[in-house]
Amino acid sequence: MNYYRPKNIDEAKRLLQKFAPDSRIIAGGTDLLVEMRHANYALKEHLIDILKIESLNKISENGNELIIGSAIVHDQIANHPLIKRFAPLLSAACSVIGSQQIRNRGTIGGNICNASPCADTVPALIALEAKVKIVSPRQEREIPISSFFHKPYHTVMKENEILTEIRFLKLNDNQRCAFYKLARRKALAISRINIAAILKISKDHIIEEARLAPGSVFPTWTRISDAESFLSGKKLSDEIFKEAGNITAQKMIEVSGRRWSTPYKESVIAALVKRALVMAAGELTP
Amino acid sequence: MINIKLTVNGNICKLTVPVKMTLLDVLREQLGLTGTKRGCEIGECGACTVIMNGKTVNSCLVLAAQADGAKILTIEGLAENGKLHPLQKAFLEHDAVQCGFCTPGMILSAVSLLERNPHPDEYEIRQAIAGNLCRCTGYKQIVEAIKSVAIKRKHDDSNIL
Repeated sequence: MNYYRPKNIDEAKRLLQKFAPDSRIIAGGTDLLVEMRHANYALKEHLIDILKIESLNKISENGNELIIGSAIVHDQIANHPLIKRFAPLLSAACSVIGSQQIRNRGTIGGNICNASPCADTVPALIALEAKVKIVSPRQEREIPISSFFHKPYHTVMKENEILTEIRFLKLNDNQRCAFYKLARRKALAISRINIAAILKISKDHIIEEARLAPGSVFPTWTRISDAESFLSGKKLSDEIFKEAGNITAQKMIEVSGRRWSTPYKESVIAALVKRALVMAAGELTP
Repeated sequence: MINIKLTVNGNICKLTVPVKMTLLDVLREQLGLTGTKRGCEIGECGACTVIMNGKTVNSCLVLAAQADGAKILTIEGLAENGKLHPLQKAFLEHDAVQCGFCTPGMILSAVSLLERNPHPDEYEIRQAIAGNLCRCTGYKQIVEAIKSVAIKRKHDDSNIL
């Protein structure tokens, strides 16, 4: 097994050109090292460490846009002033991932590419309508994160590709957001269900646009368009938040069918959607 | 195999290690620093916590190759000239150690917390050690030990002012 630590993206591309598909990209390694210890893990001969590539280690703004390099670790996002100001739901999501040790090491790119259904950054990025940039030795492409995943643990990435950056529009002052995570304990726990919500609210408290993205609820990440369209145009109220929760629960049953966990999840998802909406509306909540 | 250079507790170490070897294995097996414990090996128990370039990490989830060039602090490097670190003393004074298996990681998480945030409240302390599991003494004494150092520092700071 060989290990490479390219210093820039061109060097990484050359390595991929030479070695893919017998190569594997490693960043923080917090998922990959666990995976590598499994007896049935198909070991790749060449390990390409992208953590030290400078261009992947930047958080920047470009006009209305925020751009996050894929090798940025969760702790940086949780504490970064630009993210806290313009996408607070993403810093909230990153601040509850794993433990401090994991947040110091795990990257946003890794969280996306690993495509675990309970990944905490993904609902937030879907609600932000983020786009991801993917480069290969010969070309690069940019796709919406909503079309990045095929199914849990499977993405559109090819073996010679690197996810390099994530970009999304900054939230305006009239866009309020929240991220809520339900887990078996308060810290160092995997999400059972998580919800990202963004509400665009007019001066007279009318919802102009609603975005709701749950994690671990549907087989793949999807926004709850039924609940979103129900909310838009309505005045903020407890009742409509409650109804949006019920619509989401119904949608879940429609998609996944009734399972052993449905009696629990049905009422919990309804309550969580409502809670996330109340959190997003903040002091505007009637 | 790959050649790496680490600065461990201030000592420069040049080593040749297999690519798949973790930082934890290098510390324990090659350098004999067994203060860093092997626990769950999936990043949940925190027994293998070390401070790498100023940040706590689970050394079981870091390849030694990835640590090439890094500065590592393990529990063995905390005492200076035979004098215990204030947190080590506080753990003893507050009976925050029973079997001792979680202690090295627990103390390094606390060291890192007090560097980021010299005056944490109880909630912040509990959050900071959330990645370190203790299965015997319980967390109360541990939290109190960390709190006592934070309070003492606050007291010392106000004396300076």
